[in-house]
Amino acid sequence: MAAWSERLAGVRGVLLDISGVLHDSGEGGGVPIPGSVEALARLKRSQLKVRFCTNESQKSRGDLVGLLRHMGFDISEGEVTAPAPATCLILKERGLRPHLLIHDGIRSEFAQIDTSNPNCVVIADAGESFSYQNMNKAFQVLMELDNPVLISLGKGRYYKETSGLMLDVGAYTKALEYACGIKAEVVGKPAPGYFQSALQEMGVESHEAIMIGDDIVGDVGGAQRCGMRALQVRTGKFRCRGRDRLGTEPGAEGAHPSPVCSPTSQPNGPDLPWTPSPASPWRPHGSCGDCI
Amino acid sequence: MAARRALKAVLVDLNGTLHIEDAAVPGAQEALKRLRGTSVMVRFVTNTTKESKQDLLERLKKLEFDISEDEIFTSLTAARNLVEQKQVRPMLLVDDRALPDFKGIQTSDPNAVVIGLAPEHFHYQILNQAFRLLLDGAPLIAIHKARYYKRKDGLALGPGPFVTALEYATDTKATVVGKPEKTFFLEALRGTGCEPEEAVMIGDDCRDDVGGAQNVGMLGILVQTGMYPLHKPSLKQMVKYTCLKNSLCRNDKAHGAL
Repeated sequence: MAAWSERLAGVRGVLLDISGVLHDSGEGGGVPIPGSVEALARLKRSQLKVRFCTNESQKSRGDLVGLLRHMGFDISEGEVTAPAPATCLILKERGLRPHLLIHDGIRSEFAQIDTSNPNCVVIADAGESFSYQNMNKAFQVLMELDNPVLISLGKGRYYKETSGLMLDVGAYTKALEYACGIKAEVVGKPAPGYFQSALQEMGVESHEAIMIGDDIVGDVGGAQRCGMRALQVRTGKFRCRGRDRLGTEPGAEGAHPSPVCSPTSQPNGPDLPWTPSPASPWRPHGSCGDCI
Repeated sequence: MAARRALKAVLVDLNGTLHIEDAAVPGAQEALKRLRGTSVMVRFVTNTTKESKQDLLERLKKLEFDISEDEIFTSLTAARNLVEQKQVRPMLLVDDRALPDFKGIQTSDPNAVVIGLAPEHFHYQILNQAFRLLLDGAPLIAIHKARYYKRKDGLALGPGPFVTALEYATDTKATVVGKPEKTFFLEALRGTGCEPEEAVMIGDDCRDDVGGAQNVGMLGILVQTGMYPLHKPSLKQMVKYTCLKNSLCRNDKAHGAL
């Protein structure tokens, strides 16, 4: 108990990941992770500031928030930092006209963007739209450019859906990087600028904030590199594969989530409302002595 | 000059060396006949992901080359050998035309992934299936990792980018079996009973054929047909080559050495 109070001292704001923390996406919109609706409600009743920091790039913010509200989550569009709007700002600033390798569900976020005569490629989580043909078209656009620019909305390796684990945008971004011999620019976690803009919106300094997510690289590692604290949940894509595995994840060097919630630990510090219970999203996952 | 071990085996590249697409390299048939007149073992080697040995054999017979199927060794053969060695059941992401080379290999309930140039398989659902197998510990075997290839409508993604995607997603490394990997040449020689130092590779690609062979201790002969004009070695690289011939038919030095 004392350890938790110490770890969470001075926390004024919480950044919450969405997929894998609030819900698992999938058929029919997905399912809420048991206990997380109540956990969010308690968080909102506390004195902590709350903002959602997601790499979701298959759905528009409007659709995502609509879906989550339908599940009972207390969330609004203005509380969400998402990569597509952030990308649009960058495109406008730099006069970039993108060839979009994206899912149709997010096309509305780019409605104000000039996509004629593309001088760059924007790649997001296109899901089923990652056909060979679509990948090839993006590749051909890049190869034609004297100065090929590839902007990737996040670089996640995979995420969890109700049907199982799914390849994420990062894998396809690496494919294009390899094919063209270039490096992509990442908009979204774990890019520091992305976390900083979320913190700015929340009005909280990094040392006063904690990021809660299921991705050791995107959420935890990224947040810590910005000077934030981080908490890894054992839901979503979290896989207990032992210390070695965690340590060798690309980008995870040095990432060690401050607490990894399990019901045996009591993160019931003065500021944080979670009380592990059978309904808690943070369930035991078997005896795994190697997990942090 | 240090004494060289006697040459006991010759590996000959196919496309670009023995023939160029559907035409024989002039004089290559005679050169092969002369080679056969010696005591060396001959193997025909190639990187391919969509031609079975049967397809290759038919083309070569049409061009009047005297070759038997068991003398042909391809990157598909290398993949099959590895699958057999590891005793795994592969999910085969290869061109349908390559399937005959995996005849007899169990593919149901796969616990390995073999990936070649197969655009029709590089869609999200199939790659995701492969990804889940790899995440569960299945080995990834890549026929080769070419970035792209030329098609009539321009450049097209090769298997390399998709292999890279799977490697990144699963934090694993593929075993690449085609030229210029060492295992390709060692596997090609396995059936001959010869050591690399007793073998020579004849090919038109300075990196994939000659470079790769020399890396395992073989001698290399670079012919100036086929890929040679595209991948011309620099002067520095040229010094490394055992010898440079205009084409296979002028392989006097190789014959002299035999």
